Amino acid sequence: MTSKDLVLESAADRTTRFERDALVFMDQLYAAALRYTKNPEDARDLVQDTYLKAFTSFHQFEEGTNLRAWLYRVLTTTFINSYRKGQRQPQLAHNELEDWQVASAQSHTSDQGKSAEVEALENLPDSDIKRALQEIPEEFRIAVYLADVEGFSYKEIAEIVGTPAGTVMSRLHRGRKLLREKLATYAAELGYGKEEKK
Amino acid sequence: MSHLESDQIPCVEVLTSVVFLIEDALDQVPNALALTNHLNTCLACQAEVAHEQAVKAMMQEVLRRTCDEKAPEDLHSSIHDLLAQQLDGHLIDGNVSSVMTQFSMTEISIEIDEFGNVEHREVQIEQTHIAHFIDDDESGHH
Repeated sequence: MTSKDLVLESAADRTTRFERDALVFMDQLYAAALRYTKNPEDARDLVQDTYLKAFTSFHQFEEGTNLRAWLYRVLTTTFINSYRKGQRQPQLAHNELEDWQVASAQSHTSDQGKSAEVEALENLPDSDIKRALQEIPEEFRIAVYLADVEGFSYKEIAEIVGTPAGTVMSRLHRGRKLLREKLATYAAELGYGKEEKK
Repeated sequence: MSHLESDQIPCVEVLTSVVFLIEDALDQVPNALALTNHLNTCLACQAEVAHEQAVKAMMQEVLRRTCDEKAPEDLHSSIHDLLAQQLDGHLIDGNVSSVMTQFSMTEISIEIDEFGNVEHREVQIEQTHIAHFIDDDESGHH
C-alpha cells in the first residue's frame, strides 16, 4: 500500500463517517439557519455552506467530543462572517453590553404582572412568537436561540459564538427581556394581560 | 444600603442577577455567596426566581414548538451530492486541492486633515510576476 492509497482510503472513510454522524443534524441546523437568516433561500445556502466547511475541516474535529455543538459553531461563524455582510446589521457598541445590569435594575414583579406574562405565552399564536424572535437584534437572537431552542449551556454558547461567557449572559438576559416585551405588546394588542406590568 | 450588614445585599442586586441564577452560572458572579444567602431568607426574591424559571421553561417550550422545522427534502440530496463531489475531487487531485500561483493586491490610502486638505496619498500595488509551479511531495514516487 502506497502512501497515496492510505490518503484515499481515509478520505472515503471520513466521508462515510461524516455522512453517518453529521447529516442527522440537518433539520436542526436548517431550523437555526431560518431564524438566523430570516428566509428559506439563505437558510438553505447557509446549511449547505456549513456542511461543506464542516466536511473540509472534519479532520480537525475530535471524535468523541460534541459534534452537534461543533456544527453549530461552524453554522454560526459562517453566518456571522459571510451572510450578514450583505445585510449590514448595526453592531452593538461595547458599553451597551456592559450597561445592561444598570439598565435592567427593577423591582419585584406584581402577581398580576406574573400571571399576565404566563397568559400571554400560553395564548399567543406561533406566528407572533416567530415574529418577535425575528425582530430582536441578531446577537440576542442567536444567544436566545442557542440557549432556549437548542438547550446549549452558556459555556457551550460562548464556544459556539466565540465570545466570553459574561457576554453570553448579558445577551441572554437582554434578548429574553426584549422577546418578552415584544410578546407582551402583541398580547396586549390581542386583548390579553390588560397591561398590568409596571 | 447602610442598614444592611456588610455581607448582605439588597433585593435589586438579586433581581439583576436572576439570569445567573436560572442559568446555573453563579461561578460567573463575584457575589455568589451573598446571592444565595439573600435568596434563602427573602420570599419575594424566591418568588421572582421561581417565576423567571417558570417563564423560561414556558418560553423554551413555545420556542421549540414554533422553531421546529424540516429541511427541504432536496437539501438532503444536494448536500449528499456536494460531499460526493468533494470526495471525487479528492480522488482525482490526490492530496492537493488547490494551489494559489498568482495574486494581486491594490492598496490605496489617502489621509485627510481636519480642514479637508489631502495630506498624503499612497497607492501600493503588489502582485506576483512569476507563476510558480509547485510539485506535490508525491513526485518522488513516480
